[in-house]
Formats: sequence, C-alpha cells, structure tokens
Amino acid sequence: MPIYAPTLPPAPDLSLGQPPVLVLMRFDLARLWRQKIGRFFGFGFLALLLFKVARIYVGHLLQTNAALRPVKDFAQSILTQGASFQADLLSPASYLLWFLVALVGGGLVARDTLYRVRPLIYAHPVSPRDYLLAKLGFASGLPFLILLPFVLLPWLMSLLLAGLDGPVWVTAPLRLLPAMAISSILMGSLAVGASSLAATPRAGVSWVLGSVLGAGALAGLLRGMTGIAAVDALNPVLLAEAWPQLLVGVERPFVAWVPTVVGTALHMALWVTLAVRRTRPSEAIL
Amino acid sequence: MISLDRASLRYGPILGLSPTSFELPEAGGITGLLGPNGAGKSSLIQLLSGLLPPSGGEVRVFGQAPFRNPAVLARLGLVPEGDRMPSGLRADRWLRMMGQLAGIPAAELPAAQARALTTVGMADRAHLPFASMSKGMRQRIRLAQALLHGPDLLILDEPFNGLDPEARLVLMALLRTLADGGVRVLVSSHILGEIAQLTDRILLLFRGRLLAEGSVPEIRQLLDRHPVELRLVGEPLALARWAVEQPELAVLRVEEEGVVISVRSPREILPRLQAAVAAGTIPVRSLDPLDLNLDAVFQYLTKDHA
Repeated sequence: MPIYAPTLPPAPDLSLGQPPVLVLMRFDLARLWRQKIGRFFGFGFLALLLFKVARIYVGHLLQTNAALRPVKDFAQSILTQGASFQADLLSPASYLLWFLVALVGGGLVARDTLYRVRPLIYAHPVSPRDYLLAKLGFASGLPFLILLPFVLLPWLMSLLLAGLDGPVWVTAPLRLLPAMAISSILMGSLAVGASSLAATPRAGVSWVLGSVLGAGALAGLLRGMTGIAAVDALNPVLLAEAWPQLLVGVERPFVAWVPTVVGTALHMALWVTLAVRRTRPSEAIL
Repeated sequence: MISLDRASLRYGPILGLSPTSFELPEAGGITGLLGPNGAGKSSLIQLLSGLLPPSGGEVRVFGQAPFRNPAVLARLGLVPEGDRMPSGLRADRWLRMMGQLAGIPAAELPAAQARALTTVGMADRAHLPFASMSKGMRQRIRLAQALLHGPDLLILDEPFNGLDPEARLVLMALLRTLADGGVRVLVSSHILGEIAQLTDRILLLFRGRLLAEGSVPEIRQLLDRHPVELRLVGEPLALARWAVEQPELAVLRVEEEGVVISVRSPREILPRLQAAVAAGTIPVRSLDPLDLNLDAVFQYLTKDHA
C-alpha cells in the first residue's frame, strides 16, 4: 500500500483546546446516544414521563370538571397529593434508572481497561483526576438529566393548570432537585467504582448489578437478624429513594435522616476511593 | 531531547528498570529499544511518556520531567502495544476525541485529522468501524492518533507485533518518512531483525538493565567476541576437515547429516565459507545459524556483564 505523505503535518496550536473532562463526557454521551440501549431507555423514560404528566392532568380534570365529580372521592384516595406524592414523582423512574446506570455505567471504566485506552489518554495532557471526573460526571449527570423533566414538567404543568393550589407543590423543585443530585451522584459513584473493578464491560455491568443487589440483600439480611432499621442504609436503592422522601418531609421515609446521610457518604467514599485507586496511572500499564 | 540519569522504576517489590542512564540527542532519527519480554522496554516507555514517575533518578524529555507535565505530553505521541479497539466504534470518531484530548482547537481538528490520516494512508477508510479493519489498518489509525498534534517525539511500543510482512514494510517506510521529517522516533521490539532493518541506533535492554547502546554495527562487533553455533548440512567428513582448519573454530560436532560448529568471529569465517562453497571445496546443502536469535545475543551480553 502506498505512503501518501511526503511531508509531515504542521503542529497545530494546542493552547485553545477544550477541557478534557468535557471531551471525555461528550464522547461517552455521544456513544450512548448512538447505541440501541440509549434509544431503548429514552423511550422507556419518555413513557414514564407521559404517565406522570397524564396523572396530573387527570387530577386537574377531577378537580374542575363537574361531570367527573362522582369519582372524585375515589380518585383522591389513589391520587395522594401530600408529601408522598411529591416524592413519588421520582420513585418509579428510579428502578429503571438503576438498570440504566448499571448497563451504561458498568462499561464506562471497564471498556477503557479492556481496550487499554487509559495509557493512551494519560499520555495526553489529561490527568487521572480529569479522567475520573469525566466518568463520574457522566455517570452522575445522566440520571440527573433523565430525572430533571420528571420534576420540572409536572411542576410546570401543575402550576399552569391549577396555580398555587395544584397537586405539585410550588416549592417541590427546590426540594427535589437537591435530592436528585445526591441520588444521581450516589448512582454515578457506585457505577464508576464497580466498573473500575471489572476487566470487561459485561463484567462491569455484573459488578454494578451485583453490588446494588448484593448490598440490598445484605441490608435485608442484617435487618432481619438484628431488627435495626438503620441497616437499610446499606442498600443504595433505598438510599436513592430516601433522599426525595426526606427532603419533602414524608412522614415515614424508607430510611431515617442520620442513617441516610451516613450510608450515602460511606457508599460514595467507598466507590470513589476504589475508582481513584483503580484508575491511577500505575494501574494503566502499557 | 531524552536523558535518563540513573532512572529506575519499581512496581512494588518488582524492579521494572534498574538505574539507567543514557541520552538521545535532538533532531530526527530512529532509535530501537530492543529486548526480550520482561526486559524493561515498556517500563522505560512509561517513564518517557509521563505515565509514571521514576522510582529513583531523573528522567528528562525536552529538558523537563515528563510525569503529568502537559508541556512535555503535548510534544509527544505514543502508540502503545496491542491493537484491541472498541469494535463498534468508528475510527474517525475515536481520532476526533484523541485530537481534542491532545488540545487541538475544534476549528483546526478536521484539518489535523485529515493530515494525519493522509500521512498513514488511511484518509479514505477512517469512517470504518474498528471491527471491519485489518490489524495493519488499526495500527495505522493508532499511529495517526499519535501524529494528530504534530509531535516532536514519537514512541511506539512493539508496533510490528502481529503485522504481516507487507504491513511491516509499510509501517517501517512510514516511520522512516517521519524520522526524515525531523521527528525523533523511539521503537521498541523484541525482534533484532526488525530493529536492524529500521534503525541507526539501538538501546539493548535485558532484565531491566541497559546492556548496550550504540549503532547496529557497534553492537554486532560486541557480539562477534562470542562463539556462534552454525549447522552445516552436507558430507560430514569433508565439512569436518574444512572446519578444523579454521582458526575461529571453538567446538566441532559431527552429525549424520553434517556438522555443527561453534565459531568465534562469524563475520570473518562466513565469507571464507561462502568462497569455499562457491569453489566446490566443501559440499554444503544448507547453513543454519542455531543461536543467532535475540535470546542468545542477550545471553552472551549478560555473561559479559555478569
């Protein structure tokens, strides 16, 4: 095969490049978007969102339409509109979200391990901190972005339809957005940490699912043996669901305040520490 | 351009590279990093490409320590060993990301990508996914990745592994073109023949130690001091008679099909052997060097340094 270039390409000016964290995050996002799994989850979340919005609209009709007044009492019994309703805006999506985080996040670091991309990345002006921030940012940002319309759309719709008396509290986003952020970072750190333990993307998915389900099973076992409710804080699924409940003030949250804070901090510290150790340059041997 | 001053690298209790010192001057040219598996080639490359800091001593590339130093990394292109790439990923998309990581501005990236792909002869095939590329094509894409930002130093770790002869020749020609253009190329390999075809300068590593440094003839002269085993297939008695008359003969073993001789200074005896065969003095059907492989070379040199 011929060699085409008689001369070398001139070196471009490298001082105006983009931050590596953004480059890596955008690359992972574009890769997900091009895959079938990205479209599958896109449709899944869209269907859930439409259901949520429809539920609010039905609630509005029940309140305002005289013809529907006979079924109003029954409907109100199933359409709770207190703190639980606010927290519930996020909860059904969270199961699908954990599944998405496992499938997508499980391969984030493991894929680079399998294809030995990290030595190549670190041979560029990219630090291990940039790499890890990009992976954590993507794994946490994805669930956050998916959950965002689940809070904002019902809130906006409720505000437009019923003003301050709508089923979604006017202050709901102020409470739910921080809860979403914490839950998303919990999901992201677990996914990246578990993925960093794996050598292939499939093994990464197994690590994430195994860690989530295993921690849940362990928590359930310890709870059954000891009867102490606080051990539920070992379960990351319950932690992610407890944050919206705690911040909107549900009477009986899945996990109480102190165990939730401690459990979340422990999970994040554990998984981020693992990810830091496993993505060091010394681990990215040639 | 590159200088090591008693630089060493440890992986916990394992010594990857013993304290090593050498210097490579500025300007282009190809340097071969030669050694068997486990010799310390990859350790040295990790030090030079800034992946790891030295455990002791000092490493300088372009006058600075390369570890996590963007000023050095921006002038360096690395082609790591192996050819496994995400199978579904398109080469041009992967190159774009690598170019962005190298710090190339978005406006300049398409032109830089096109130039690098043209240099490696892959301009019309970069849209293909890695899964549908041959090993040689993937290797060229990896090389294009290292060339995107126009590096002054190009480091390739075992780039010829798994390539067919034609792809090897193409890659060698490409590396010579780059070196002629002023890029300093550092190529590691465990195959002496590959390096000898390619380069004017060799660093010889063995068990984490730098054993020899110099040009290919210099290192060959170093090896000439050691006996080399040759198997001559032909009439055994006639071959043995000729062999015992040679002053370089160290050991002679007569076999059914011919003789095995161990000779010092093979570069002196081989022309005489050739002349004798041409004159019909000795009936040689074939000549096989038994220990001219790299392992034997290293064993000789190791004995020297013991």
